[in-house]
Amino acid sequence: MEDIFEVYGERLSSRLLVGTAGYPSPVVLADAIDASGAGVVTVGLRRTLASGGDNGFLAGLVGRLTARGVRLLPNTAGCRTAVEAVSLARMARELYGTHWIKLEVTGDEYTLQPDPWQLLAAAETLVAEGFAVFPYATDDLVLCQRLFDAGCQVLMPWGAPIGSGQGLLNPWALRTLRERLPQAVLVVDAGLGSPVHAAQAMELGFDAVLLNSAIAHAGDPVGMARAFGQVVAGARAGYRAGVMAPQAMAVASTPVFGQPMLEG
Amino acid sequence: MARVAIAGAGVVGRLLAWTLSRRGHAVTVFDPAPGAGPAADGKGAAGFTAAGMLSPLAELEHAPPEIARLGLRSLGLWRQIAAELSQATGEAACAFARFDDSLLLAHPGDGGAAARVLARLALAPDIGAPEALNTQALAALEPSLAPGLNGWRLAGEGQVFPQRVLPALAEACPASWRWGERVESVGPGCVLTVSGERCACDLAIDARGVGAALANLRGVRGEVLWLYAPGVALNRPLRLMHARHRVYVVPRPGDVVVVGASEIESADRSPVSVRTAFELMGAAVSAIPALAEARVLHMETNLRPALPDNLPRVELTDGLLRVGGLFRHGWLIAPALIEDALAAAALH
Repeated sequence: MEDIFEVYGERLSSRLLVGTAGYPSPVVLADAIDASGAGVVTVGLRRTLASGGDNGFLAGLVGRLTARGVRLLPNTAGCRTAVEAVSLARMARELYGTHWIKLEVTGDEYTLQPDPWQLLAAAETLVAEGFAVFPYATDDLVLCQRLFDAGCQVLMPWGAPIGSGQGLLNPWALRTLRERLPQAVLVVDAGLGSPVHAAQAMELGFDAVLLNSAIAHAGDPVGMARAFGQVVAGARAGYRAGVMAPQAMAVASTPVFGQPMLEG
Repeated sequence: MARVAIAGAGVVGRLLAWTLSRRGHAVTVFDPAPGAGPAADGKGAAGFTAAGMLSPLAELEHAPPEIARLGLRSLGLWRQIAAELSQATGEAACAFARFDDSLLLAHPGDGGAAARVLARLALAPDIGAPEALNTQALAALEPSLAPGLNGWRLAGEGQVFPQRVLPALAEACPASWRWGERVESVGPGCVLTVSGERCACDLAIDARGVGAALANLRGVRGEVLWLYAPGVALNRPLRLMHARHRVYVVPRPGDVVVVGASEIESADRSPVSVRTAFELMGAAVSAIPALAEARVLHMETNLRPALPDNLPRVELTDGLLRVGGLFRHGWLIAPALIEDALAAAALH
């Protein structure tokens, strides 16, 4: 059976979503996105907008991505209130002609942990305005349930704080989200450091992963992007194929019955 | 002897003029600036705004090893240029450049950020290796540092003083300096100014920074602060390794400390933002607490010229040389880059 990944009515070819920050150069960034096979790319624009416009960096990237059918997912990184985030989302819709928005509202500067109350308020407003909202959330079940009820078909809980590369700090919470929100598209967003972490998220039954720093700050970002693309696809295939349950007792692959007994 | 016309009197243009005229070539330089400088208005050459760190190893944090290797070669060339400038002006060589090492610093809570930077530096062991310092050694080198910082010495690194080097390169060299002349175009054997003057030459050089005629060139906003900090000892450039900010603190003559720099993908020359000022000052004070009582002398914005791969480009065709895209590495790599470009152009 075909493994269809559909988000807000759009069929996506890859279960890897990537960011665009912190790369060594625009060329490395574009090559890494190609190598990752990602079909969705997030772009931050708060600081660039505040600085009076793009210098060709975003325009060049956007042209290349849209020519390849890659979807843009503008984000509201750096916002601290619902009002700020909603206004930036509206600007992003104008600028990029997309109603997709990755909603980020920071509640704590040190951990960059989302502010649940502001996040939910912003999500409700944006859904009412026709946005397809991808909220960056904590792994709190009640928050995610409320966001889903508010019309967010996609939920993006963190694996660990942004950029920390610590992997899935609370697999139990993520597993609970999967069990309790079977209808939601679940994406682990943030905190992944290595392809192994992405594989773990896919094995928990998550629909996709979103990451930036693990690729951008790798020794070879293009090689790491390719690795993440391969591992996400492989881990998804493994999850669908049905991973056997672990047990304590060893089971020999080749039966020992019938082998000569060497004693004496 | 060749006739050379250079468009742009930034770091690259002035170093080219200095080198070529010392080799006996007839050099004319065009630039819209009113004179040799120094300038601190952020409107002209990015080199005036830059801190002038000669820090090849530390730049490996975000640049590929070829930049570090150009930087390493340039360190030796800067020693030579500083000595030549000293000879030409009668000032001490240390008025132009100093080579007292640089330090990488990290707060104890930012061990993860430091580990990431140090891992990148270790990718090019031929460039050098940071030397971890104990508390006493660090305090002996820089007594003003906040207690508890971790520090690494990058031996042999240094700094130039842009506000002194740029004017001296122009004043002490016999080229013909055509200040106040904006260049319209640079073609093979010809520089055309906006005022309509056509300067015929054997080699025309385009060294106009963000104004150079290189495809896909963009300006990347950078912001710096100048602090006046009498009595605060700072002996060498410092770089703070932090999870979110890249901050350097660099001593200048006259009790001035330069703190920089932001890196924003926007060709925006408007004044320094509150966020940048706040972040830079916060980081600087976290490293040197006494800077809290320093006075903010000046804030400046300028644009780094960058190409899509963030690497420099040297394009040589018959009668035309374009040098550009030095991004955040102008002072660091210009001497070696120019040496290679002039060798390719057979201008000995």
